[in-house]
Amino acid sequence: MPSSYPRFAANDGVIDAAKAALGDDLVEACERVGEIQLHVKRAGLVDVLRALRDTPGLEYQQLMEIAGVDYPARGDERFEVVYCLLSLTRNHRLHVHVRTDEATAIPSVTGLWPVAGWLEREVYDMYGVLFDGNPDLRRILTDYGFRGHPLRKDFPQTGYVELRYSEADKRVVYEPVQLAQDFRNFDFLSPWEGGAYQLPGDEKAAQAPGAPTPLKADEVKR
Amino acid sequence: MAGLPDAPDILRDSAYALSSPDALRPADPTVGDVEIKNYTINFGPQHPAAHGVLRLVLELDGEIVERVDPHVGLLHRGTEKLMESRPYLQNIPYFDRFDYCSPLCMEHSFVLGIEKLMGLEVPERGQYLRVLFAELTRISNHLLNLGSHIMDVGAMTPNLWLFEAREDTYGFFERASGARMHMNWFRPGGVHQDVPLKLLTDIGDWLDGRFKRLFEDAISLVADNRIFKQRNVDIGIVSRDDAIAWGFSGPMIRAAGIPWDIRRSQPYDVYDRMEFDVPVGTRGDCYDRFMVRVEEVRQSARIIKQCLSQMPEGPVLTNDRKAAPPRRGEMKRSMEALIHHFKLYTEGFHVPEGEVYVATESPKGEFGVYIVADGTNKPYRVKVRPTAFSHLQAMDFMMKGHMLADTTAILSAIDIVFGECDR
Repeated sequence: MPSSYPRFAANDGVIDAAKAALGDDLVEACERVGEIQLHVKRAGLVDVLRALRDTPGLEYQQLMEIAGVDYPARGDERFEVVYCLLSLTRNHRLHVHVRTDEATAIPSVTGLWPVAGWLEREVYDMYGVLFDGNPDLRRILTDYGFRGHPLRKDFPQTGYVELRYSEADKRVVYEPVQLAQDFRNFDFLSPWEGGAYQLPGDEKAAQAPGAPTPLKADEVKR
Repeated sequence: MAGLPDAPDILRDSAYALSSPDALRPADPTVGDVEIKNYTINFGPQHPAAHGVLRLVLELDGEIVERVDPHVGLLHRGTEKLMESRPYLQNIPYFDRFDYCSPLCMEHSFVLGIEKLMGLEVPERGQYLRVLFAELTRISNHLLNLGSHIMDVGAMTPNLWLFEAREDTYGFFERASGARMHMNWFRPGGVHQDVPLKLLTDIGDWLDGRFKRLFEDAISLVADNRIFKQRNVDIGIVSRDDAIAWGFSGPMIRAAGIPWDIRRSQPYDVYDRMEFDVPVGTRGDCYDRFMVRVEEVRQSARIIKQCLSQMPEGPVLTNDRKAAPPRRGEMKRSMEALIHHFKLYTEGFHVPEGEVYVATESPKGEFGVYIVADGTNKPYRVKVRPTAFSHLQAMDFMMKGHMLADTTAILSAIDIVFGECDR
């Protein structure tokens, strides 16, 4: 049986072509889990994406998605913004990663793809990442007057406010969130795989090899 | 609406105030000519043709639309945030609730993404069943969209007939999964349960009998109808270049004349064994989008018939016990199976570290899922790529210069569902 997930054109040679076209702006290019990742410098982002779109042999005509990811553990430059590109002519996909922090703006690519307008607005709304050059950087999914950026890892899942219709005021009122019971966050990780705490017998781990470390996705045999 | 700090003034206006007394005030009473100002109206958020909770702020010059500012997010439920704190298996039901008109196609992207990360193999029958039910979902989705499109431009009867056929598909979904709408039936590694043989034969009979009669009758009422064409032909034309630049996909990009179908060019499951045609439009207007969907329904029926004739016997879910639970009978007898069952339904399976973007051809276009896995039993980040986001964003340029009444035609030809758009 061939693999079940969507099978696009082979990745052979794409990294070399990208290296040749992007030059110094490319920090790292790698292939993981069958997908090409290009990590690029923030300042050169527009040039990189233009090169990926217009260079013959690369031809990534469509910007399908801009995804934000928050890695608070990374310290500065905690946000990663991922541009998922699609080539209609070469039938290939790759993603371009760029990093930033809360204060530094990423150059907007609305000049290259008008579709980037809303996609950047969403990343701004959810993470507070700024985009320099986006003509309409308003919130998009959250409420009018919402405060905070809900998909940051330090934003609580319950949020800060809740709203109800007040019969006295004849309007919807916002109030600080009150939970009838504590928010339950289960620790599903088994103690011999994930926990950071010491259990009796852990000291023997150094003496004998334990269970193998789980494989990463690009090491799984397919 | 008071009490919203950032609420613009328009919120306080009546939603359907079409004209204000000032709009036609004579500039100079002695001359008698009329100063016409652009005025702004709200379309929605509660409007039967908005296909959900969409608020369009329309700037009008007379009856001509000058600018459209869609306000989305009224159905935002924070699903992506919720998914970060739940095991993978508990996240599948959330996907049913994205595009609730094509739930199984939403699940499809997610389970394929997990399979790609884990390197899971899916048994042949499982793949056939997924393709079969994804296509049945496509039919169900298109029946709703075609019907409501027809109704939005003024005809009533076809919608009622198409809903009859759509109701039948819900019966099939119920017989396969136990739920009519939110099936939660696809699993990483296959599907949850096998289907009874009678269901498959019933689907085959339905396609050739009742479905064909209802569908072709309903479409024959409008496809060549002069009034229907007047409302749709040359409305909301999108060129090939615009379709690419605005990130169009699915029927929207095919109507613009680009033969792009992920099922064909990047086949997943057993789509590479299916024979089907990819319909394309010639003008890229609302009529083309409508007719592309009509033809896709016929092609989906073709794919389902091929699935029915080719589908082998065998397991429907992978035998990898670290990803899929054992059958119930086995669980009752084997201690090992019981442990696996318990672990899978409490802790869940662990997905190896990595990140993938997996996109499938949902009935509305490219539905993608970007998963960042950190090696635990919960996703670190799931980003859903809704089709409606890029299509709705293009409303502004598609509407420019059109009449107010064309809004509904263009909107329903996009095929929007807000569960998916707002997430």
